[in-house]
Amino acid sequence: MTDVHVVGVGMTRFGKHPDSDATDLGAAAFLEAIADAGIDPRLVESAYVGHVFQGMVTGQRILAQVGLAGLPLSNVENACSSGATAIREASLAIRAGENDVVVAIGTEHLTSKFAGALTPDPSDPEAAVGATMPGVYAMRARRYMEEFGMTREQLALIPVKNKSNAAQNPLAHFRKEITVEDVLESRAIADPLRLHDCSPVTDGSAAVILMSDTAMKKYGNGRAIRLAASTLRSGSVDVEPTSMTYEPLTWLTAKEAYDKAGIGPEDVDFAEVHDCFSIAEVLRVEGLGLFEQGSYPWAVERGEANIGGRLPINPSGGLIGKGHPLGGTGVAQVVELVRQLRGEAGVRQIEGARIGVAHCRGGKAVGIEGAACTVQILVR
Amino acid sequence: MSGSGVGVSFRPGELEVRPDGTGNLLGSRCRACGAHFFPVREACAGCLSQDLETVAFSTEGILYTYTVVRQSIPAFEVPYILGYVDFPEGVRIMGQIAGIEPGDITIGMPMVLSIEPFGTDDDGNPLTGYRFRPRETN
Ligand SMILES: [Zn+2]
Repeated sequence: MTDVHVVGVGMTRFGKHPDSDATDLGAAAFLEAIADAGIDPRLVESAYVGHVFQGMVTGQRILAQVGLAGLPLSNVENACSSGATAIREASLAIRAGENDVVVAIGTEHLTSKFAGALTPDPSDPEAAVGATMPGVYAMRARRYMEEFGMTREQLALIPVKNKSNAAQNPLAHFRKEITVEDVLESRAIADPLRLHDCSPVTDGSAAVILMSDTAMKKYGNGRAIRLAASTLRSGSVDVEPTSMTYEPLTWLTAKEAYDKAGIGPEDVDFAEVHDCFSIAEVLRVEGLGLFEQGSYPWAVERGEANIGGRLPINPSGGLIGKGHPLGGTGVAQVVELVRQLRGEAGVRQIEGARIGVAHCRGGKAVGIEGAACTVQILVR
Repeated sequence: MSGSGVGVSFRPGELEVRPDGTGNLLGSRCRACGAHFFPVREACAGCLSQDLETVAFSTEGILYTYTVVRQSIPAFEVPYILGYVDFPEGVRIMGQIAGIEPGDITIGMPMVLSIEPFGTDDDGNPLTGYRFRPRETN
């Protein structure tokens, strides 16, 4: 079976884009990825486009915008994992031998769709009693504090770290460093979480061009990064109440990816993880097996997760700092991985990085641990 | 339990309410392996049996975790307390919490199901839903 290689990447600035829409942003990311790959856009054989609230056939609108009609194209919705799922689908088209050059795009114009707290679908019994996504993560934070003794101040160090990284990232939504006091004094959203603990409402798009071994020989540009694994799982139904401070879904998705890539968590040099909320970063990295359960807040305190630390987490700024345009998020994580692994990350460069992991996890449905989880492993 | 305003259940498939102001959350019990689920399912996630019966859950459980929601959608007036309660059948159910100040709540405290007015239908008619309240001591 062929390997899959990321040959070109593109990404718009993440933030508020009042003068454009999900189509414009997707087209801009696509054109940058094509230019980065240095290929003729007519080489692209199929497209997968992830988005959540952008309506029907947004993918077709994007490709029409850039003059590419007629391709097989699938629009992909998997909540916050939509963009990452698009990458997985694109990689499967290549591994199956169906295509040699495929584009995956993630896009979202979220500021025009809603403001405030994201909630589960209204049909869900938990939505009917007032569940919000910040509320659910706040409950997980409360439980984690109870079980492991994490303090509110320790939790604040995660947004401080991620917004510090974002301040160094010209494409990030937030470009200002913050302090622990800023976090603790920001508006209460769902106790104990405050505004700085939450990812913002962001517009943005990202795109990646994937190639097979065959296409690489003809069109590769010498800067490709191998997509060693791209895995996807849905949450299992709870047969009995399970811990909300540990994520079997994240671990099972990661384990399959580690096995496919022939590595273990101890081999990972850095990761972009789904920090939709500060507590989520804790749960993700422990679920991925990168840090032991109940240990991450103390590791952050020691600086282990900083750029330059033992295992940098979210060097791009993460969802909290870079922003979280739902469909765009998973693709933008892979853009960051590629730039880090190529050595093109500028002041945020992680020296000697060889293996990076991207993790997304999205959606909430009653009685299951989580809806859609993805893990991508990129190897230089 | 409060009996005022007891009428139409806000989610009849998930909450049964009776004229006397009592009620129960509803779910499935697998006749093959005994597992319980909330809400009602078509098949058992434990053994995939489709031989399920709809059952009414106990009205007392233990608080697993909670939060005070201070930003929500317009349908819900903030702030409100939200929590997960573990019931003896082996199901964890989310609900709003009433009858206690946030500062007095502790994880692990016993909670009871309370049938109460809860929102309105599309025509503005009052509906009956549920909240969790701390179990009265002594
Ligand atoms: Zn069963």
